[in-house]
Amino acid sequence: MATDNATGGGFGEVSRLRGIAFEYLSLGASVAGLVALGVLLVYVAIDAFDLANASPEWLLTYFLTLVVPFLGFCLYSAGDPAITRRALGALGGGLVAVAALFTAIEAFVVDIPRLSWQLAYLFVVVAPVTGYLTYVGSRGRVGAVGFGLLGRLVGGVAVGLAVGTLFLVFDELVWFLAYTLGVLPAAGLYAYGRWRDADRAASAALPVGLVGVVAAVFLRGVIATYPSDLIIYLWTLAVPIAAVGALVVAGRGSRTAAAAAGGVPLAVATATGFLAGGLGVPGPTALIVLAVTGVPTAVYVHRVIDGGEGVVGLGLPLLIAAGVIAGALVVEAWGVPAPDPWLDVSYVTEAPSRTPEEAGLYPAIVGSVIIIALVAVLSFVLGVGTSIFLEEYTAGSGLVGSLTRLLQVNIANLAAIPSVVYGLLGLGLFANLLGLGFGTAVTASLTLSLLILPITIISAQEAIRSVPDDLRRGSDAMGATRWQTTKNVVLPEAFPGILTGTILALGRAIGETAPLIMIGAATTVFSAPSSLFNRFSAMPMQIYAWAGFPQAEFRYGVVAAGVITLLIILIGMNGTAILLRNRAERGN
Amino acid sequence: MAASHDADTEGITRRKSLATLAGAGALALAGCTQSTGDGGDGGSDSLSGSINIAGSSTVFPLMSAIAEDFAEDYPDVSIDISSTGSGGGFSNFFCVGETDFNNASRPIQPEEEQLCSDNGVEYVELVAATDALTVVVNPEADWIDSLTTEELAMIWEADAVETWDEVRDEFPNEEINRFGAADTSGTYDYFIEAILGERGHTSDYQATEQDNTIAQGVSGSEYAIGYFGFSYYYQNPDQLKALGIDDGDGPVEPSLETASNGEYTPLSRPLFTYPSISSLGNEHVAEFARYFVEQTTNEDLVAGDVGYVPATEEIQEEQMQTLEDAIEQAQG
Repeated sequence: MATDNATGGGFGEVSRLRGIAFEYLSLGASVAGLVALGVLLVYVAIDAFDLANASPEWLLTYFLTLVVPFLGFCLYSAGDPAITRRALGALGGGLVAVAALFTAIEAFVVDIPRLSWQLAYLFVVVAPVTGYLTYVGSRGRVGAVGFGLLGRLVGGVAVGLAVGTLFLVFDELVWFLAYTLGVLPAAGLYAYGRWRDADRAASAALPVGLVGVVAAVFLRGVIATYPSDLIIYLWTLAVPIAAVGALVVAGRGSRTAAAAAGGVPLAVATATGFLAGGLGVPGPTALIVLAVTGVPTAVYVHRVIDGGEGVVGLGLPLLIAAGVIAGALVVEAWGVPAPDPWLDVSYVTEAPSRTPEEAGLYPAIVGSVIIIALVAVLSFVLGVGTSIFLEEYTAGSGLVGSLTRLLQVNIANLAAIPSVVYGLLGLGLFANLLGLGFGTAVTASLTLSLLILPITIISAQEAIRSVPDDLRRGSDAMGATRWQTTKNVVLPEAFPGILTGTILALGRAIGETAPLIMIGAATTVFSAPSSLFNRFSAMPMQIYAWAGFPQAEFRYGVVAAGVITLLIILIGMNGTAILLRNRAERGN
Repeated sequence: MAASHDADTEGITRRKSLATLAGAGALALAGCTQSTGDGGDGGSDSLSGSINIAGSSTVFPLMSAIAEDFAEDYPDVSIDISSTGSGGGFSNFFCVGETDFNNASRPIQPEEEQLCSDNGVEYVELVAATDALTVVVNPEADWIDSLTTEELAMIWEADAVETWDEVRDEFPNEEINRFGAADTSGTYDYFIEAILGERGHTSDYQATEQDNTIAQGVSGSEYAIGYFGFSYYYQNPDQLKALGIDDGDGPVEPSLETASNGEYTPLSRPLFTYPSISSLGNEHVAEFARYFVEQTTNEDLVAGDVGYVPATEEIQEEQMQTLEDAIEQAQG
């Protein structure tokens, strides 16, 4: 019998060796990449936050006041004894293992620069465990509520700051007129049309809005007296946001709660806005941030309390705030030596300086945010437009089909052209020929939009192509026109994919330096730009300049802080797009 | 009757209260308005406007340090500085009339003068500070302390020697690793002018605009040599070893003293900035240029923070005179 099997009667045997080897090779490849990236980020973080000078007592204090309660919250939310045991095992075992291994390497192999075993434990064990527990905890109801609230707080502040930044260069007076004459009447007409089922009112909304906006641009030069900035932001941003929040809450039934959800944040924002001047904080920005943060938070809190599930989770922001305060108090009371991070408040609010301690990135951050906002709009409109045309409107065969294919090949090739070439194009076309100015935000964002346009087009095309043809045919069969099919079927289906491509492309644009150098963007500016035709600096330009400074503090600390800031803004931007994408996916 | 009377009084009170509210609202709003008349900046005390500066990466730290202080005094003047290299700044930006100042680590060259005059850009030359071009080797290289200008030329000329023992017999028989300035840099031009002359610059070297890269390269190999501006060495004296340069009177090491008293020859060089005369017609640009010349003697800033040799009072007075003449010419 045995010989029968061996000589090939049954299924025989195939060597698994190659398969196993391949599996481990691919594992090794992914681990190598991730570890390299991880080490880089760890060192950048150590430099930016001066963790090399953090005493073990300092680390322990914040570990106990901040990290342990947070992990406890996640474990409570997960409510699974098995996970709790595993997490405690990993934290405890990791402590021993990292300490032993680290000491052994330091003693016998090489000295590991600027790391202690406590820091290594923090990065190698605590950070992954925290990440895992955050994920596990967020799947429990309590955790979901906690992170939902935290996300609205952080997201609201980020969006508020971004909007405040954009108003540094966009004329808020034009916006005030456009809102009052165009946006508000249009929204009113649209809402009235939907409410009373009056189609004519709804379809009049768009023309009315356009006329209003045009009139606003015209009137801007005529009218000389305007309300103060604070009133403008109150009227055009805070009140509408509060009204929308109140409507959302009212839709769930309670009038009192609706008034509170809209009114309380509005009142707080207004009061802070008027008082902020005395505290040295720009009032308008404070007003926007509080309105954008407060209203969604209030709506969310109402929803959670109304639902009655996971209400405990609302305590998460308090837990974290209490942890930070308690840690600060302990550090203060016992005189624990604390690190002096390069990345602090003054770093993101001050201008560059020749002394590393006073150097800041504020003008460059503003420049980058404005450039990237313009690039996002431009490349999205151009990219999606092109890809819809190529996918939905051009014929697949005949002369037009061949031309389309030729165009396709060229777009793919454009994606591979070095960015410095786009810089030259921007210098010649936008700066010189069209006279948009050397190194202005307009020139920079047009150049960067062109740079990422091929990527946006290709990914949007892929997304549109992946919409099943059955859906289109179904829509056609219902008698829909091509425009209706595209608008109602194809674009909503393809939207998440289009956003993914745009996110990747924007990530590339925000880090580009070469094209900016070519178009004459400034390396250093000392005040934030006040118009789109000002000379701009961008974060990568300033970081590159600092990397060449003779002082070591610039090349390590200040540059690392810049890299972390760039990453945070990039993550914030991507986070917004990912949220939008997830929402669109859920909508389907 | 009673009903209509009631309605009347109620109507009046409502109207009254509305009027009161409106009045109060108008009063409250009146305090919160802004007007956007054409408030010309001619009459105001504080200067405003923008100043565009490009040019040498060597002068960049000095210019940004001075601009930083100026921006604190005049917050409405927005200054931007690009580090483009002396030549890049002249040909791409200054001589086509795009920038108000161009920094240079060498005097303007004939082709650039031609380009500027073709485009009708007039300028005036101001000396910003003095730099001591520093030749560095690895701190481990204890077999070398100084080089003569002739030996330096043998190392860097177009037809350069391959190994150290060809330079001087007692040097080791090891290949020379060269790290130097890229050819867009004024440092490169000055090095050729001062040391190499007609003999040309070797192309067998690592060329870069970043002092950092040169420093890293030289500290990575015992048989490496490099040259760059003084400030990097001044800020990191332990990382590299500066060679004394022997111009016939014995070796002289680079320092703020030897560069300012003229002993460190031929590698101490003046650094320049070129304001455009038409820009000096604007008061904020003229004021910045005056401030710049005043600051060139500021020891703390020029030597302490940046690492160049400050100008002497005499040179400063001379520069100020040149500048005032140019401003007078511009403003009529």
